Amino acid sequence: MGIVQGDQMILNIGPQHPSTHGVLRLEVRTDGEIVSEIKPHLGYLHRCFEKHSENVTYEQVIPFTDRCDYLASMNSNFGYVVAMEELMEIKVPERVDYIRIIMGELNRIASHLLALGVYGLDIGAFTPFLYMFRDRERILDMFELTCGARLLYNYMWVGGVSHDLPKDFEKICIGFLDYFEPQIKEYNNLLTYNKIFIERTADVGVIPADVAVSYGVTGPNLRGSGVKWDVRKDEPYSIYDRFEFDIPVGEGQFGTLGDCFDRYWVRMLEISQSVKILRQALKDIPDGNVHQALPKKIRPPKGSVYRRTESPRGDLGYYIVSDGTPVPYRVKMRSPAFTALSCLDEVSRGWMISDVIAILGSLDIVLGEIDR
Amino acid sequence: MATIIKSYEPTFWDKLYFPALLKGLMVTIKHFFRQKVTIQYPDERHIPPDGYRGLHRLNKYPDERIKCVACEMCAAACPSNCISIIPGPSPWDDGKERYPVRFDINLLRCIYCGFCEMACPEGAIELTEIYDFSNYSRDDLVIDKDGLLGVYELTKKQNYYTKKSHSPASLPFKTERT
Amino acid sequence: MNHNDIKSNVLTTTLESAINWGRKNSLWPMPFGTACCGIEFMAVLAARTDIARFGAEAIRFSPRQSDLLIVAGRISIKMMPVLIRIYEQMPEPKWVISMGACASSGGVFDTYSVIQGIDQFIPVDVYVPGCPPRPEGVVESLMKIQNLIDKEKLSDYALSSSK
Repeated sequence: MGIVQGDQMILNIGPQHPSTHGVLRLEVRTDGEIVSEIKPHLGYLHRCFEKHSENVTYEQVIPFTDRCDYLASMNSNFGYVVAMEELMEIKVPERVDYIRIIMGELNRIASHLLALGVYGLDIGAFTPFLYMFRDRERILDMFELTCGARLLYNYMWVGGVSHDLPKDFEKICIGFLDYFEPQIKEYNNLLTYNKIFIERTADVGVIPADVAVSYGVTGPNLRGSGVKWDVRKDEPYSIYDRFEFDIPVGEGQFGTLGDCFDRYWVRMLEISQSVKILRQALKDIPDGNVHQALPKKIRPPKGSVYRRTESPRGDLGYYIVSDGTPVPYRVKMRSPAFTALSCLDEVSRGWMISDVIAILGSLDIVLGEIDR
Repeated sequence: MATIIKSYEPTFWDKLYFPALLKGLMVTIKHFFRQKVTIQYPDERHIPPDGYRGLHRLNKYPDERIKCVACEMCAAACPSNCISIIPGPSPWDDGKERYPVRFDINLLRCIYCGFCEMACPEGAIELTEIYDFSNYSRDDLVIDKDGLLGVYELTKKQNYYTKKSHSPASLPFKTERT
Repeated sequence: MNHNDIKSNVLTTTLESAINWGRKNSLWPMPFGTACCGIEFMAVLAARTDIARFGAEAIRFSPRQSDLLIVAGRISIKMMPVLIRIYEQMPEPKWVISMGACASSGGVFDTYSVIQGIDQFIPVDVYVPGCPPRPEGVVESLMKIQNLIDKEKLSDYALSSSK
């Protein structure tokens, strides 16, 4: 029948759409209501982070990394500074390591809370969103207390952090954790064990483990498929090797292994693991000066480095090339959300349009990181 | 094309959906009797901690001399290039030769990262705790030297939000639409 | 009829204030959230800064049902036609809040792909600085929009419809 196929329809979802988590345009080819192909169109949020980094100094790149993965700015900072320290061979004081891990894990909780809350919103449950935001606000308050900003922190610097922890931070943080842990049960009552929610997510959008690995999917999406891979454990950076924690993987509780529910459930379990890490870190945090190792002028030696870290969305890598000047020669960011989006086409073939929204929400992509 | 498999089979009770609805509603109803989290914004305001990164100010010495010596370190450190300074010879004779004749910050460009504060060798530029300001035109959100000193007067003694009479009208911005 | 006659009419001025009162307390925002500011706008909707106290909680993602466009986040050159189209689809009277540094002036992204201020393309009523602004800043700008609506004259509508 030539180019036009009789009963196929092309549907555009986005770029301005509530469920696309930003400005993603999906070109969906459908047969009736069954999706036969999805083409994601990127670039609606492109602002050339990588090229722009070649024109600013190394320390000025940090505010830009904030704005890439804006749901987990601390983890974005973390990856960059860890890579830079490897390049410059700086050893940071122990207190700095602990502070970074506390901030990184707090931000992981905040990011997962937002991901889960918004996922509920996509599926049609408004109330969990309000509850999760309520608790997220308390985490943001702690960030505000520490570094003076709510969402984009510019907190971790090469060789240290910008501010030391406030005096009674440990007490506030433990108070928050004590308050927060029972809340997880409430979320489960409200959303996880809700039969309507389970029917929308169980068995939907199965990513088999081999497909996930071959697409390079990382983070909770990969672990949802049952692959036990976490950079924090398998290739520890900073001082993650000192902490006891498990890597939750999907079990296919209500359906097939690797469905939307598993990805959701892995995130929920990861929140409890982050709480566990936080409690250990807050217990043994040593005293010290956080500004001790800050270099006066950042001028790394010639060379390059690739360092990957575990951001809430997965394997976040930075490739930095230095030519010996105070301005980076090249900064490349390996974004976990990008690879997660790439498998959307294969995963959602054969599902209905409403399931595509559920699958997309369960992948938890951030467009700022995909487009860069 | 993936084949749709359904391994999850809801029971009869699950298919009614009412138990699930009621269970969720119970959580919500319990919250009627708990402490409210909403801040009634214009009447009560969140008091930000020390070190909050909000509106800028220019500090002065007790004898009214502006601390800034127009070295333009802040402008160099700024990632968004929102600070512009025109230096001039200082009218005070205290050994410091320069002072800013003009000191403009484009508040809409600024990303409140705090690099200027860290770069300043004199402790002259500082970010204050003021966070609720907006305006009708882009030009009115370029704050000049007088405005920055005005913010200093507002915030030097105590936190802006712990004062009894604080209102956005007291900020050095035009409030009428032009 | 000359619009000055309408202005002096007691009945219409009362009607005017009634309409303005109704309008300003039932704004229907259309959030055009692209990036970080969009997340902060979600926080405005959520429990801490409940925007429903100002009657503006009816978030509609379709432009034809809303009268307040909140542009939150950076707008790239590829996105700008979409924004213009959405603005043009909104029925009159409409207002625009430009939230955050990136939408208002390009902010830290002075690059080839980011629009340096959406006011080059669509009219903006209130600018909110901050990167991102605190939720309180957005509520403050919403109150500024309400002030604007309060000052609207019925004769302005008569004029604009006769254009």
